[in-house]
Amino acid sequence: MRTSNATYLVKKGISSVWKNFLMSFASFSILMVSLLLVSCALLLMMNVNTIMGNIEDTNEITVYLEENVTDEQVEHIKSVLEKNDDLTDVQYVSKEQALEDFRNDMAEYSELLDYLEENPMPEAFLVRVKDLTKIRAVDKALNQIDGVEKTKAPYDFASVLTHIRNTFSLIGGAVLLALIVVSIVIVSNTIRTSVFARRNEINIMRYVGATSGFIKTPFFVEGMFIGVLAGAAAWGLTWLVYDSVFSLFSADLTLWQMFGFYGLTPFEDIMWLVLAVNCAAGALLGAVGTVISTGKYIKV
Amino acid sequence: MVELKNVNVHYSSGVDALQDINLRINDGEFVFIVGGSGAGKSTLVKLLMREITPTTGRVFVNGKNLAKLKGNQVAKFRRSIGMVFQDFRLIQELNVYENVAFVLRIADQSSRFIKQRVPYVLNLVDLAHKARSKPRELSGGEQQRVAIARALANDPGLIIADEPTGNIDPRLSYEIVELLRDINRSAGTTIIMVTHEHDLVKHFGGRIINIDSGSITFDDIIGGQDEDE
Repeated sequence: MRTSNATYLVKKGISSVWKNFLMSFASFSILMVSLLLVSCALLLMMNVNTIMGNIEDTNEITVYLEENVTDEQVEHIKSVLEKNDDLTDVQYVSKEQALEDFRNDMAEYSELLDYLEENPMPEAFLVRVKDLTKIRAVDKALNQIDGVEKTKAPYDFASVLTHIRNTFSLIGGAVLLALIVVSIVIVSNTIRTSVFARRNEINIMRYVGATSGFIKTPFFVEGMFIGVLAGAAAWGLTWLVYDSVFSLFSADLTLWQMFGFYGLTPFEDIMWLVLAVNCAAGALLGAVGTVISTGKYIKV
Repeated sequence: MVELKNVNVHYSSGVDALQDINLRINDGEFVFIVGGSGAGKSTLVKLLMREITPTTGRVFVNGKNLAKLKGNQVAKFRRSIGMVFQDFRLIQELNVYENVAFVLRIADQSSRFIKQRVPYVLNLVDLAHKARSKPRELSGGEQQRVAIARALANDPGLIIADEPTGNIDPRLSYEIVELLRDINRSAGTTIIMVTHEHDLVKHFGGRIINIDSGSITFDDIIGGQDEDE
């Protein structure tokens, strides 16, 4: 198709947005809300993953060794731990180091330790688990290593975090799906109204030899234009919402830092990506809504 | 050339709209198709526009079997003919110029060609001075002339005019038929005009095909009164 005729069809589609203003505005609004929630949910997930990563990084299992392990056994256990792909940061803690650490923790009561006749602290390894969801299985495997007395793992904290993440993904996914369906239905209805308003023109176009593509293109432009506008508006709102939440957590608050709320992504780092994704998602939803309406109501 | 061979059209409602039609219209002819209401004229027009296909038999236009056209081939075929309707079928939001330019855009013509062609065809129907008017600002006769200009835009070899005088002042009807005859004579365009106005047909004469209850009952050339005058 010639550029001049393609431009004509694009203009026709965009002008239809204004002619069909009320329905276009309804589509725009619902699409904007959907895309706002989609982009906020994605950004939240992205940062929740960062926070989970932060927490996972501090998530240690202490592997206590038996009382009378030989140096060879210690070396063997160390090599077993280092070869385990689920673990990172394998660190050996000697009896002396353990006592020293305990002494530091006891602070002003540390003098009590001077009354001990021998060092009661066991040798141990501190290891970190790469993936919190595997902590139970990893812990079980560690207990079966020859020379390991017992382990100490933060099961409850890990399982709560994993549960929160899974629940959030499930509910978020269901809400997103519902919003996507609603958006498509609304866009499809808007285009249907537009098709109805232009039914005489469509009929005339058929009689004078317009192809299916020529008749449907303006409706696609209309649906996709509304989608892109909604995507851009949702992007602006996401920026506002995200920046206010970001400034809350990125302030120098030790409490938040303790819970792993650091290393969050500033909006400026991902703004163009978010804009592109929002506009593309808007255009896609607009196009799907148009496909449904034009397929159903325009028979060429 | 238009040719119908053993054409029957049977609607699902049980109506036999056309029965065993055999018809041949040569290039450059001007033919009146007449008949009363429900005779089968509209069905014949629908066949020629490829809006429907015959239940049995074959319809050829310019050597193409219309039943074999698929998808965009139908659109392309419709661009090769000009259609004029009783109710004009102009797009009310567009002005006269745009209504004509519209079909050229559909045919993917260049802007340059459109700028040359539209004033030319509007001049042929004597409406160049109304190019910027909207259809509702024109009389019925003028609107039908715009529709004829639109039908001429793609320089078709065949124009099908379905009751073109049905919605206009009887006095102006003669002007419309005269215009179609001028196009036929000057450009050699084949014209099939469907009408139920016997006075008009008697006045102009020529080849007349009468359809009654779905069958051709008369197909001959008669002399017109305008020739006697």
